Amino acid sequence: MANPPGAREEKQERKTATTDPRKKASFTVPVAKGLINTLKHILRREPNTIHYPDEKRTPYPGYRGEHRLKRDELGREKCVACFLCSTACPAHCIEIVAEEAPWDDREKRPRLFNIDMMRCIYCGMCEEACPCDAIELTPVFNIPSRTRAEKIYDKEKLLSL
Amino acid sequence: MANNPTNDSAVSMTKWQLNGQEVENHAGMTIMEAAKEHGIEIPCFCYHPGLSIAGNCRICMVESNRSHKPVISCSERIAEGLEIETDSEVAVDARNSVMEFQLINHPLDCPVCDKSGECVLQDHSYAHGPDRSRFVEDKNIRHTKELGPDISIWGNRCIVCTRCVRFCDEISGTSELCIVERGDRSVVDVFPEIPIDNQLAGNTVDICPVGALISHDFKYEARVWNMDRIDSVCGGCSRGCNIEVETLDGFVKRLIPRENLDVNDWWMCDEGRYGWRHLYADDRITQATRDGAEQTDSAATDALEELLSESGPVAFLIDPFLTCEELHLVQGLAASRPGSKVGGWLPADGTAASFPSGFQISAAKYPNRSGAEQVFGDQVFGDDAKQLQKSLLSNGFDTVIAFCGGHQSTGPGDSWTQALANTATRIVFSVMNGPWLEGASLVLPATAPIEKEGTWINEDGRLQRTRSCWNPGTDPFAVELVRLQALQHALGLRGRSLSAAGVFRELAAANTAFSGHNHSDLGSPGLLLSERPAAVASDGGTE
Repeated sequence: MANPPGAREEKQERKTATTDPRKKASFTVPVAKGLINTLKHILRREPNTIHYPDEKRTPYPGYRGEHRLKRDELGREKCVACFLCSTACPAHCIEIVAEEAPWDDREKRPRLFNIDMMRCIYCGMCEEACPCDAIELTPVFNIPSRTRAEKIYDKEKLLSL
Repeated sequence: MANNPTNDSAVSMTKWQLNGQEVENHAGMTIMEAAKEHGIEIPCFCYHPGLSIAGNCRICMVESNRSHKPVISCSERIAEGLEIETDSEVAVDARNSVMEFQLINHPLDCPVCDKSGECVLQDHSYAHGPDRSRFVEDKNIRHTKELGPDISIWGNRCIVCTRCVRFCDEISGTSELCIVERGDRSVVDVFPEIPIDNQLAGNTVDICPVGALISHDFKYEARVWNMDRIDSVCGGCSRGCNIEVETLDGFVKRLIPRENLDVNDWWMCDEGRYGWRHLYADDRITQATRDGAEQTDSAATDALEELLSESGPVAFLIDPFLTCEELHLVQGLAASRPGSKVGGWLPADGTAASFPSGFQISAAKYPNRSGAEQVFGDQVFGDDAKQLQKSLLSNGFDTVIAFCGGHQSTGPGDSWTQALANTATRIVFSVMNGPWLEGASLVLPATAPIEKEGTWINEDGRLQRTRSCWNPGTDPFAVELVRLQALQHALGLRGRSLSAAGVFRELAAANTAFSGHNHSDLGSPGLLLSERPAAVASDGGTE
C-alpha cells in the first residue's frame, strides 16, 4: 500500500525526536539496582516455599475451590433445580433431577444434584449463573481422594460442606 | 381456517406498502400474515393460525397511514394504498409499552417455569421488553390450581391471551375453559365440577404462549433447551398425526404435535400424546431369549439364521405397526422360501372421534394397515390371514415368524396365540411381554412405533416418513430393520445392509405403488399416493 504524501517525512521527524534522548541514556544504574535486589533475595533468611501440607497458604479472596450448596435460614437447600448452573457449565459436570418441593414457598427442588469434581474446571460459571445464590465455590483446594467415585459429590455431600 | 381467505382460487392481488416498499399480496390477508410472506415477523401472543382472531394482546401494533393510532396487524387486513410501518418510532413505542404492561404482573418464575426456553413472552421480552420494571406496587396474586386430570394453571403467569379458551370453543368444541374476573384479576378457569378432560386437552398446554397451563405429565421433567427433537409420526391410530418426539439423554420426555395442514393441522390427541410410557415399562422386552435362556443380541441374530436355514416353508404373521421398509424385508424373506405364507393380525378397534374443527381420531389403533396392504395385497389382513390361521391350526407349518409389535398390551389375541402355539418352531418379535410369547423358541425384542425409522401409509393413503427416537448409545438391541437385513445377508439374499432410505429405494423399484419416490421426496406433509402424477405411476408400472 502506498503511504499518504508527507508520511515519510513525518516518520523521519518522529524517529529523530525519540532516538535523541536515548543516546545519552546509561544502563549502568538500573542494572546495578536490579543486581542489588537479586542479592537481597539470595541473602534472605526465610525461604519462599512453605512446608505443605504442615503449613497451608491462605488463598486470596475470590479463590475458586470446592463447591458447596447453601442452605436458607430454615435449613432447607436454597437450590430450586432450575438447571441454569448445568446449562452454564462448560464441562457438563453437573447432573440434576428435579422434583416437586414439599414447601409452600417454592415449586421445585433437586432430587439429585451431582457434581463430577474430576470433570469440573473450577471456572465459577455455575456460581455466576445461579439465580438463587444457592451454589458457591469455597476456597478449599486440598481435596484429594482415593477413588474416582468419591469425586462425584452428591447433594448431601455438597450441602454438608 | 375461515379467517384466512388465501386458499380461494379467485382472489385478486392487493398492492400495498410495507416499511416503504411496494409489495403485493392476496386480497383479504391480514397485515401480519402478509408481512410474514415478505419475511417480516410481527410479534404476537393471542394470534394463532389455527384459531379465530381475538386481538386482545395488542403486541402486534403497527403504524398505518389510515389511522391516527397504531392498528393491530393480526386482525387489520391489507388494502390498496395502505402504508404500514412495522419498525417506526410509533410502532416500536407501542410494542414496548404493551410489553411493559404484560410484564407488570408476570412473576419472575422463569428458573422454575417449565415453559422457560420455549416461552413467547420470554422471547418478546428479550426483544422488545424493558430491562427493569418501573412497577413498585405489589403484584397481583391469582389462583394456581388443577383444571383437569392432566392440566394445571399457574394464574400468576397467565397473560389472558384466550388461546386456550378459543381452542376449547372452536377446535375441541367442548368449551370447558372460560375467563373469570375482570381487568388485571382476570384469569383462565373452569366451571365447578366440569374439569378440562376432553380428548384434545393437551394442546392447550402447547399453544399457551406462557407457562400458565402446565401438563402434569411433563411437569419438572426436563428443561426444554436440553432436549433433542425428532420429527416423527404418531403410531397411535391410522390418522398418522405428525409429531415431534422430545428426548433427554435418549429417553422420551414428551410428544408434541407438528404442523401438517393435510393431516392434523397443529393438534394431536391426548391418547397419542401420553401413549409412550410403555416404552420404559417393566414388561417391555429388551432381551432376546432362546427357549427361555437369555441371549446376547448378536447370538440372537445367529440363532434366527440357524432356525431359518434348516426350515422349509415359513409362515409369516405380520402386524400393522411394521413400516413399509420392514414389510419389504419380510416380503424378501417370504419370497426366498417357496411355499411360505403371509398373513396379518389386527388389534381390536378402539373408539373413533371427530371434532368441530375437522380433527379426527381413528378407531383403527395402528399406523400402517394400508402400507401392509400395498406390499402384500388387499387380503393380507382378510382372507390370507384366515387361511394362515387355519393352516397353522392344522399343523401346516413347522416354522412361524410372528411380529407382535405396537403398544397394545393385548397383543394378537387368543385365536392367534392358539394358532402360534401349534407350531414347532416359533420366532416372535415382540415389544411387550404377553401370552403369545409362552413357549416360543426364540423371542426377539422389537421396536415400538415411535422408535421405528421408515414410512407409514395412513388411512387416507398418505405416505409419511417417521424418524426414530432410537438412541444407539443406550439401546440394547438391533432394530428390526437392521436384524432382518443381517438375516437376509446371512441367508445369502442380500449383499450389504442399507439405511431405511436405501430399503425404500429397493421397495420403490419392486412395487409399483411406491415407484418413482424416495425418502427425500416425502418432505414434511407426506405424499398422497392416489394423487401422484400419472407419469410417475405409469413409469414405475413397467418394472
